[in-house]
Amino acid sequence: MDSSSEAILEFNQVDKRFDDKAVLSQLSFSLSAGMVVGLLGQNGAGKSTLMRAALGILDIEAGEIITLGEPAAKLSTEAKAKIGYVPQQPFGYEGFTVASALELHSSFYPEWDKSLELDWLSRFGLEAKQQVQKLSVGQRQSLALIMAMAYRPQLLILDEPVASLDPIVRRQFMSDLFELALESGSAVLFSSHITSDLERVASHVALIKQGELVLFKEIDAMREEVTLVQLAENQPVPDGVRVLNRNQQQVLVDNADQVEIAGVLNKTTLNLEQLFMELHR
Amino acid sequence: MLELIKVNPSSGEPIYRQLHEQIVRLIVGGQLPVDQVLPSVRQLAEHLAVNPMTVSRAIQQLVEQGWLERRRGQPTRVANKQNAPTTSSLQLLAPQANDLISQAKQLGISLDELQVLINQQWNK
Repeated sequence: MDSSSEAILEFNQVDKRFDDKAVLSQLSFSLSAGMVVGLLGQNGAGKSTLMRAALGILDIEAGEIITLGEPAAKLSTEAKAKIGYVPQQPFGYEGFTVASALELHSSFYPEWDKSLELDWLSRFGLEAKQQVQKLSVGQRQSLALIMAMAYRPQLLILDEPVASLDPIVRRQFMSDLFELALESGSAVLFSSHITSDLERVASHVALIKQGELVLFKEIDAMREEVTLVQLAENQPVPDGVRVLNRNQQQVLVDNADQVEIAGVLNKTTLNLEQLFMELHR
Repeated sequence: MLELIKVNPSSGEPIYRQLHEQIVRLIVGGQLPVDQVLPSVRQLAEHLAVNPMTVSRAIQQLVEQGWLERRRGQPTRVANKQNAPTTSSLQLLAPQANDLISQAKQLGISLDELQVLINQQWNK
């Protein structure tokens, strides 16, 4: 996709504090059409905070967030109708049936696609007559996804949406994500601890550690550029090498392919899960 | 041909490269003959459950390298071998050979010893 195209969501030097604790610091990156960005970080790293700030649910202390061309803190109703969001926690609609919940929900979105809704209901195995409060956690997640996606939002923000879905439904859901991203030209920001899902689905990965963006790259570039290097005893790390983490002579390096490093005993490429573990050792 | 292709998203190797390598293997090995039509990017992506951009990157590379050809308004096919790069089956194994060699070096195994090992295993 054209990376020079206008950003759908842009974080610029964002700082956020809870009391005295910095939750996001100097965080910058942006999403444009067609991007599916996997957000990876430990619990408490700031993923949900970042997402909620993008939606204007939370204020930030410094920097700016531009969502669909507007400041996130003052989103217009029109902009909000083009955003889909699935939060981590289960949502309301207790006392509703699936059908009546969807009817109320869809009334807020002029672009709602009824046929898409029906497709997904049958795919997720949800019945219109079921009571929302009697749904399983996975079924609620499915319903939340339908509610967030059936109007083909331009920006879709998903906070660990698939943890309770079975692998088959998860795969189908991933195809839906691609369709949204590529055919409707939307951008997707997606957090999950299931790294194998992120490897399949993400075009880019954003890695957050203690509120800081440690890495933001195309997923293929990440696998090519980030390596775990075992250095010989007393061998220093040369200048110009971006060190992401270090345990004695075991160094996690960002641009290993661009810089010549002397005294390398061993070099390993990492998958996302290994990278995540190495980053937090 | 979909069933011939598999990717492992959790391997450290980029998915587009896994795809690239497998398709080249299938062409060199003759499972994909000249003029064979490839599934669309979308079908491949759906089958493998990976991002279509990744698939399209691999296909693009294969077209640029002359393994595949894409004519206007037609599906992608296996190109005529004459246009394809002169990669032999042997060259395809170079990365694995490099891995093996570097592991042997780490263990202090000499080239002669390694060759003995390969001979032994080959004849098993």
